[in-house]
Amino acid sequence: MSVTKLAYYPGCPSETTAMEQEMSTKAVFEKLGVELVEVEDWNCCGAAEIEDPKLVHALNARNLAIAERAGLDIVTPCSICYYNLERANRALQEDEGFRAKLRGIDPSLEYKGTIKARHILDILMNEIGEAELSSKVVKKVNLKVAPYYGCYIGRPPTTAFDDPDDPVLMDKLVELIGGECVPFSQTKTLCCGGPLMMTRADIAFAMARKVLEAAKNAGADCVALACPLCGMMLDAKQPDIEAELGISIGMPVVYITQLLGLALGIEPNKLGLNKNAVETKEILGRVK
Amino acid sequence: MAIKTWELDSGFKDEIMSEPGGENLTKCFQCSTCTLGCPLTEIVATYNPRKIIQMSLLGMRDEVLSNPDLWICLICQTCTARCPQDVRIADLLSAIRRVAEKEEKAGRLKIESHRPLFDKAFEHQLAKYGRLYDMGLAMEYYKGKEGGSFFKGLLTMSKDYKDFGMRMFKKGKMGPKAMFPEKVKDRAVVKKIFAEFSEG
Ligand code: SF4
Ligand code: SF4
Repeated sequence: MSVTKLAYYPGCPSETTAMEQEMSTKAVFEKLGVELVEVEDWNCCGAAEIEDPKLVHALNARNLAIAERAGLDIVTPCSICYYNLERANRALQEDEGFRAKLRGIDPSLEYKGTIKARHILDILMNEIGEAELSSKVVKKVNLKVAPYYGCYIGRPPTTAFDDPDDPVLMDKLVELIGGECVPFSQTKTLCCGGPLMMTRADIAFAMARKVLEAAKNAGADCVALACPLCGMMLDAKQPDIEAELGISIGMPVVYITQLLGLALGIEPNKLGLNKNAVETKEILGRVK
Repeated sequence: MAIKTWELDSGFKDEIMSEPGGENLTKCFQCSTCTLGCPLTEIVATYNPRKIIQMSLLGMRDEVLSNPDLWICLICQTCTARCPQDVRIADLLSAIRRVAEKEEKAGRLKIESHRPLFDKAFEHQLAKYGRLYDMGLAMEYYKGKEGGSFFKGLLTMSKDYKDFGMRMFKKGKMGPKAMFPEKVKDRAVVKKIFAEFSEG
């Protein structure tokens, strides 16, 4: 295992709506012996709402610079944070003029471009690796899982770390911990609708419904995902979607780190499995 | 609808291409891969990014900037991943949205979508705190949606979010970290970033 210490970028929902992702990420990395050092005084990455790339690059230059001063690559559990951090990283590495401009604005924005931004799924599968993970698995997660990737794991090509049409990293992780992936290729990279949640809930709900119903029709016990916005749409909003559209879904949705944590023998409450909106009790009974 | 050639604005494409993200507009060769793979088209049948691009290339400035479909792109990047010409459609549509916002600011366009309002409210939270403050964002957004009335906004918000708020509360997700803003300590530098790079 090549990695022992990383700068950790939690992202804004980490202490509120996505606290179970934060809890499970920290618990899993601790169990795996990889130290996560929180990016000191980090700021928001700009999410999907800051549209001007220059502003996104400048905001993330500050986060990247803090991690760089600590001499560490930056890792985040959020797909959107990952996309913003890494696209900013590429833009900054390629543009000495822009870096100089940022230095001029404030010395704390001085970034040399020596680190990388990574997503936790990428670190788990490509740095820690399947052999190491397998050696630490103590329980079998005997579940049928719909592995859901959403947008920024396989897209856009500049920052993607998995296949755009049929990503596999989460599938492999699910199988490694004893689960079975249901056929989900048609749906796994669909958008959850999140960016329109507040301004066009009708469209956002229709998108999320597709993902959830596809999982249900494929016979999944749960959906596994790796992004807090996807978690918001598919889990936290699921009862609203059911009420608004007059349908019943009842599909448990968990973060992939929660499933991995169970396989590593971590207590369900430490993984925040009592925080997911859709009850997870039934799936917990299947971990042996 | 026939195109009125005398109303075309030949400078429109340059206007878009000078916005970051819009640079590759003229690379488009109209293959329609973007539209065919776009997940929105299954929900909004008329949605057609290829057409928006062609209209932009032709210089149909008013039609493009007033097109409500500009504001429903999910930025899911499916089009960008598949385009054989590296048009970077998701970024391009964002660049066109920024042109439309400038047009509105200049008083020449009225954008019906609430999305710019939401994005601005989001930006204001970041400029103020350096982090996203959900409650502040929701309050500002709903206030704007209700024509600037704080109380009407609060009322609509409570109605829309009653069940959701209760659900989050029961799961212990509505503690002080959700109720009050988390602030970056070095807000001075955040302020400098916004002063330099934000339109305000
Ligand atoms: S996929 Fe690319 S080249 Fe084809 S129509 Fe869309 S933008 Fe144009
Ligand atoms: S980024 Fe927008 S236009 Fe492109 S595929 Fe997604 S929703 Fe469609």
